[in-house]
Amino acid sequence: MKKAKLTDSEYLVKTGKILRTKQMTKLEKYFEIALPGGENLEHEPGQFVMVSVPGVGEAPISISSSPTKRGSFELVVRKAGKVTGVLHTLETSDTVGIRGPFGKGFPTQILEGNDLIFVAGGLGIVPLRSLINFVIDNRRDFGKVDILLGCKTPQDMLFGEEVDEWSKRLDVNFSCTVDRADPEWKGNVGLITSLIPGVTLDPERTFGVVVGPPIMYKFVIIELLKKNIPERQILVSLERHMKCGVGKCGHCQIQNYYCCKDGPVFTYDQIKDKKEAL
Amino acid sequence: MKPRVAFFDFTCCEGCQLQMANFGEALLDILNLVDVVTFREVMSERSEDYDIAIIEGSITTDHDVERVKKIREKAKVVIAYGSCATIGGINGMKNKFDLEEIKKYVYKDGAKHFSTIPTRAVHQVIKVDYFINNCPVYPPEVIKVLKAALQGIPYEVPDYAVCVECKLNENICMYDKGITCLGPVTKAGCNSWCINNGNICYGCRGMVSNPAKNGQMDILQKYKIPLDWVVNKVDMYNKPRELEEEKPKK
Amino acid sequence: MRYLLLKKANFDDFISSLAQIEKVVAPVSRGYNSFSFAEVKSGKEITLKYIPTVLPPKKYFMPQREKLTEFNKAENSVEAILEYEKMVIFGVHTCDLAGIQCLNIVFSDKPKDINYLVRKNKLVIIGLECNDYCDQYASCKVVDNHLPNGGYDLFFTELDDSFIVHVNTGLGEEIVEKTRLFIPNDQEHLNKLEAIRARKREIFKEEVNVKHKDLVTLFNDKAFESKVWEDLDKRCVACGNCTAVCPTCYCFDILDNINLDLNTGDRTRRWDSCQTEPFAKVAGGENFRKTRGMRQRHRYFRKFRYPAERYSRYFCTGCGRCTRTCMAKISLKETVNALAAEQKYKK
Repeated sequence: MKKAKLTDSEYLVKTGKILRTKQMTKLEKYFEIALPGGENLEHEPGQFVMVSVPGVGEAPISISSSPTKRGSFELVVRKAGKVTGVLHTLETSDTVGIRGPFGKGFPTQILEGNDLIFVAGGLGIVPLRSLINFVIDNRRDFGKVDILLGCKTPQDMLFGEEVDEWSKRLDVNFSCTVDRADPEWKGNVGLITSLIPGVTLDPERTFGVVVGPPIMYKFVIIELLKKNIPERQILVSLERHMKCGVGKCGHCQIQNYYCCKDGPVFTYDQIKDKKEAL
Repeated sequence: MKPRVAFFDFTCCEGCQLQMANFGEALLDILNLVDVVTFREVMSERSEDYDIAIIEGSITTDHDVERVKKIREKAKVVIAYGSCATIGGINGMKNKFDLEEIKKYVYKDGAKHFSTIPTRAVHQVIKVDYFINNCPVYPPEVIKVLKAALQGIPYEVPDYAVCVECKLNENICMYDKGITCLGPVTKAGCNSWCINNGNICYGCRGMVSNPAKNGQMDILQKYKIPLDWVVNKVDMYNKPRELEEEKPKK
Repeated sequence: MRYLLLKKANFDDFISSLAQIEKVVAPVSRGYNSFSFAEVKSGKEITLKYIPTVLPPKKYFMPQREKLTEFNKAENSVEAILEYEKMVIFGVHTCDLAGIQCLNIVFSDKPKDINYLVRKNKLVIIGLECNDYCDQYASCKVVDNHLPNGGYDLFFTELDDSFIVHVNTGLGEEIVEKTRLFIPNDQEHLNKLEAIRARKREIFKEEVNVKHKDLVTLFNDKAFESKVWEDLDKRCVACGNCTAVCPTCYCFDILDNINLDLNTGDRTRRWDSCQTEPFAKVAGGENFRKTRGMRQRHRYFRKFRYPAERYSRYFCTGCGRCTRTCMAKISLKETVNALAAEQKYKK
């Protein structure tokens, strides 16, 4: 058996240095990561990276920061398995392996000039934040912006301070709901779908961007369709088991799509007839 | 400081510990990583101060229950080691019988001096962190699990059939040779060790968690194999699976 | 390029002289009418009339376990690597040549898989014609793989006392040069070859009640809801045999392995099967193909529809391995016919 070194393998990792961490909830931990020499990740909002710990393995993680943030990028990791469990033990100045960015992100060129309604449920805010902050940083390039957030309880709200900032902005409309409130909660109580009927929008020039747990999509999409937003203007980001990130290993396949390569962002139009998609 | 490892044996033949003693070179590498403080088969010293408890054998008496609970209290990590510890193993065959009757059958007049309870796997009594299945343990898997334990990461026993690995080894299916094999319902992870060596799978790794009941029945019918005959074969190693509801909550 | 002749009397010498230059693998008998590709030193070890091997030659192109990177934690280093072995694969049937072509397409699709693409060019492929059907499970005609469609360096067709050999590439010419056993053929041999092909066109009939071009349309959105999958759900035992033996299944898992120094190790990919329960399960616990029926449906659509849409090619080579190996006797031909019947398809 002969052995050769490869310089152009898709499986080569870059060393990411952890600049900052924050335990956000019991299950979610935030990481700010820099590549060697401050190289920019050059991702599109909505893309993901494969994060690895040598000897443990790799996991696909959504990029949570906007590409307008230079010099470093941000991830939020939910503790759910072997790799993410070990990632939770890492702290500032530890290193991780980074491959990517991978996949098709949100089509910012197509969104330019249009009105946007963002709908994020639970962890959906993690990938969607990359687009929301991109839009806020390029605010005049987009039309009216509505942000609708939902989560189980007020304690589960990620990026609380930043979400507060969004809610105070005059150039975006913000609303938020929780399934179960606590005495301090001043916002809405109920499912995220209940926020949609109250939004006024021009369906011809509005794009709905929906990210959340699988169960949420169906119901939110019904509400957006009721508002007459065309199917091809509704964008979703899907979660699948991923191993390679480059459209080969088969784990993430949704009928003829590889979620990692053809997605994770899809238009509703693309996936509505794919039985295993939603 | 290196983690301190202690071996304990309950009801078993101690063949799995012997397997460890037979590791050869890999054993030296392992001894670079851990201090073995108790290992009855290879050393006379013993210590009550340990981090990792490797437990061989199944739990078959009230005294066993007390003893294994004490081990759990002391150990940071508990590894169930071998079929008897992970699934109850062949000691579980006694669960088929009335315990008093079987005791008399074995010990005759001496029966009154012995207490006995239905055979249980270790995880049916205490929380287990790692499972090393197989009878005897499969050395490459032992090393894999030890490395996972030392890295502090979980090890998952594959939850699909032995057939998956067997086909990759290009073995000729036992059913095609007219022989009944428990590969289709047994958890993989042994690299189809027995079939590679011309034997059948006896189900010593425990059953897959979601066996295809319908499909398996079809296969038995197709090959004209009576169901109770196969159940008997499965029970040789797997009888204590029926006690699974007794699993502690923790 | 050109045709040459190898006398059958010289076949043993051919293999043994080849084996002195390079590792040679070829179909050998394992008993119970089973065969596998394995290393041979002489022609006597080879079974020339064989039904498809348990595993296809895919195992040389895409090893069951393949290291992708090696790491050293203390030095904080990671290197991407390729492990390969030069080899001559003798006796590849046309169905398996088609299987290799499918893998070539997948792994050269962007982003390219360098490991696969470099390794494949270290392998010499010598094809071998089936002059007749191997058994009742094959369905090579309906997918058009019963006759050679390229993808080899040399191609052997058995005549009476010799093989007529198509030399297709420079690599093939090199073997001809090095072994010095090939002789020029006459027109008579070409006529015999044409007669064999003509006879094959006669005896190889579409093995299912569907025309080649209509297979993709048979696997339409309606077929996704077919009762056929409910039936397979009840019968399949998820043993993963069908995907392991398939010449075009290329799904893999990626796993880390650390050495006993707890410092160095590797990232390895290993064959995986979409038929196992955890395959499409995400870390949160949601399983996107929960049932065996859904997973079988996925397998069939991955052979007849998705690659047809993406690469204009069926990823079923007609080798019949999945049917031959299935414990539950799930038959590819029966499944396709059942779908055709359900849709009242007329040929």
